[in-house]
Amino acid sequence: MITDIFVMALAAMKSYKVRTFLTLIGVIIGVASVIMVTTAGGSVSSFVAEQFNVFNPTGMVIGTGTGGDTPQLSMRSVVFTTNDVEKIQNLPSIKAVAPVGIVPLNKILKRDGFLKWESRPGETMYASTPDLLTIFNLDLEEGTMFEEGKNEVIISKNVAEIFGQDKPLQVGDTIYLRRVDGKTLTAKVVGILKESKTTTMLGAMGNPGIICPIKPYYSTYFGSNAGTILKRVVAYTVLLAEATDTKHVQDAQNQILKYLDSGGSDASKYKDQSLDFVVITQQYILVRIEQVVNVIRVYITAIALISLLIGAIGIANIMFATVTERTREIGTMMAIGAKRRDILQLFLYQSMIIGLLGGLLGCITGASGSWFVVDLLNRSIQNLGGAIATGTINVIYAPEWFLIASIVGILIGVAAGVLPARKAAKMDPVEALRYE
Amino acid sequence: MKDYVIEIDSLTKTYQTGKTDFKALNTVTLKIKKGDFVAIMGPSGSGKSTLMNIIGCLDRPTSGTVIIDGENISTVSDNELAEIRGRKIGFIFQKFNLVSTMTALKNIALPMVFLGGTRADRDQRAAELLGKVGLTNWATHLPSELSGGQQQRIAIARALSNNPSIILADEPTGNLDTKTGEQIMKLLVALNKEGKTILLVTHAIALKRFTNRVVNMLDGKISEKK
Ligand SMILES: Nc1ncnc2c1ncn2[C@@H]1O[C@H](COP(=O)(O)OP(=O)(O)O)[C@@H](O)[C@H]1O
Ligand SMILES: [Mg+2]
Repeated sequence: MITDIFVMALAAMKSYKVRTFLTLIGVIIGVASVIMVTTAGGSVSSFVAEQFNVFNPTGMVIGTGTGGDTPQLSMRSVVFTTNDVEKIQNLPSIKAVAPVGIVPLNKILKRDGFLKWESRPGETMYASTPDLLTIFNLDLEEGTMFEEGKNEVIISKNVAEIFGQDKPLQVGDTIYLRRVDGKTLTAKVVGILKESKTTTMLGAMGNPGIICPIKPYYSTYFGSNAGTILKRVVAYTVLLAEATDTKHVQDAQNQILKYLDSGGSDASKYKDQSLDFVVITQQYILVRIEQVVNVIRVYITAIALISLLIGAIGIANIMFATVTERTREIGTMMAIGAKRRDILQLFLYQSMIIGLLGGLLGCITGASGSWFVVDLLNRSIQNLGGAIATGTINVIYAPEWFLIASIVGILIGVAAGVLPARKAAKMDPVEALRYE
Repeated sequence: MKDYVIEIDSLTKTYQTGKTDFKALNTVTLKIKKGDFVAIMGPSGSGKSTLMNIIGCLDRPTSGTVIIDGENISTVSDNELAEIRGRKIGFIFQKFNLVSTMTALKNIALPMVFLGGTRADRDQRAAELLGKVGLTNWATHLPSELSGGQQQRIAIARALSNNPSIILADEPTGNLDTKTGEQIMKLLVALNKEGKTILLVTHAIALKRFTNRVVNMLDGKISEKK
């Protein structure tokens, strides 16, 4: 009996295809938005979790730039001295500090008997200490870390293939590094970095292609100097640091800023007045990602709610029109034995079916829309003020939300259909039969 | 005294029109025997349809008693009224009133849907009735694909589907040409021969000959001349 009336409702809707489809649009957009929000949310959560696994969550980068709520690193001034490195190392919440000096290269060269290979310009080399690897969970795929003071470097997979995939650089190879000041230095490749899912905050400075010891590559480079012509001091652009544990990341950050801003630091003397000291933590990056997600989530949720409301109004509207249009048929059905409950059910089923269809189509639309949203998120992450996580978010669907969204569709259909269906059920059969 | 299928006593139906009351039916008393074929005649506005609607349990009396097949309809609930309507009354309308979105067969089966039963049984009975009104080949057609006469035949088959004892036909030939109207009347006569009690509202004096009793109405009152 109930199913019979359901079948009747379905049959009736077949004769109003265009009208039914138009009515669906609001529900489709609403449900699709819900699916997109939840899919994007879930995808980002798992991305963040993955980042926490790959990142050293206690890591941070210290540099100069613009501070405030959305700090940005500028990689332009060379201000942190070895003295600063030591002082920061001794702060209570700091476990390790590694200075990073930037050595721009003109070319990388390699000789192979009589043959000579040259790379295109533009590679950047980072000079640092072996602590760099532990602070940022970078692993070597093969070889060992360089030794300070020796002509040794480690390189990324990308750089290993700089002369072509068919002739990759290998551990033990000798290359020649031509710095932008024209000086060429020999280097033995001692290690190759494992490809990391994220290049962490080093990504903020460009991908680390080559990492070298400070001596001899950086200390002899004119760009490493701070101070005056009379008194030259080797200094670094950024420092990488690690807090003692995840609970002390904030403390470490505060201690560093306090030290740097105190005036007792060398960096405060060399720093340009217009620049601030900036400490960006790995946690901050993740927080920023979540903030972006939350902003998007709020927008899409608003869209979802508005669309669902519009959808509900649309369904109610169309159902009122249908009920009015079918007044005489309602009277007829009552005359041949339909109870008020039957009429109520007939129209409730119709609006429910519209809701369910909207829900299902919304799920399909939302599933495809999720790709778009996640793509948008990936772009936003790349634009996150200077501090960049270079991993990408993958679309991860949450099946339960497809079920929930379909049920929401049905509920909206039923809710929107209640008033029209009641109007139909309450009709006076005699009046209804006289309706023209 | 026995075998009255409809017993109406001092039935009054009052409509509120503005400030004044309007008596569409004024103390009507009428008894109809089982198996009668009654023509109800009278000018427009005399209360014929109002009387039919009350007998058909679509409307309630303002005062007086109406007993249909032993049930006093003044005292029952809306649901029971619908139930009585479904079981005991078959309506035939001037405008056929088929459900436009349903095929001929499904229209015939519709009254059975509201009373329950399996779909197979219903479709079987609907097919039988379709044969009875001579439209077996039109089962899957929609009302819009049928002529007026065919639609009215479907409506008659529908009126029969729950095997009611009373058929109420309010100007069933009003929208049909004379020839088609006569065919419909012959169908009703055949049903009457099978034992159905039929009340027929009509303007056409020519149709009187098909019936065995005539009730005249004027201004909400009955004046019967046999
Ligand atoms: N719902 C109503 N409200 C007011 N007056 C009504 C209503 N229904 C019927 N009437 C009036 O009752 C009278 C009888 O109507 P009806 O039974 O339809 O007449 P008939 O079928 O004999 O033409 C008419 O004057 C009509 O205007
Ligand atoms: Mg009338």
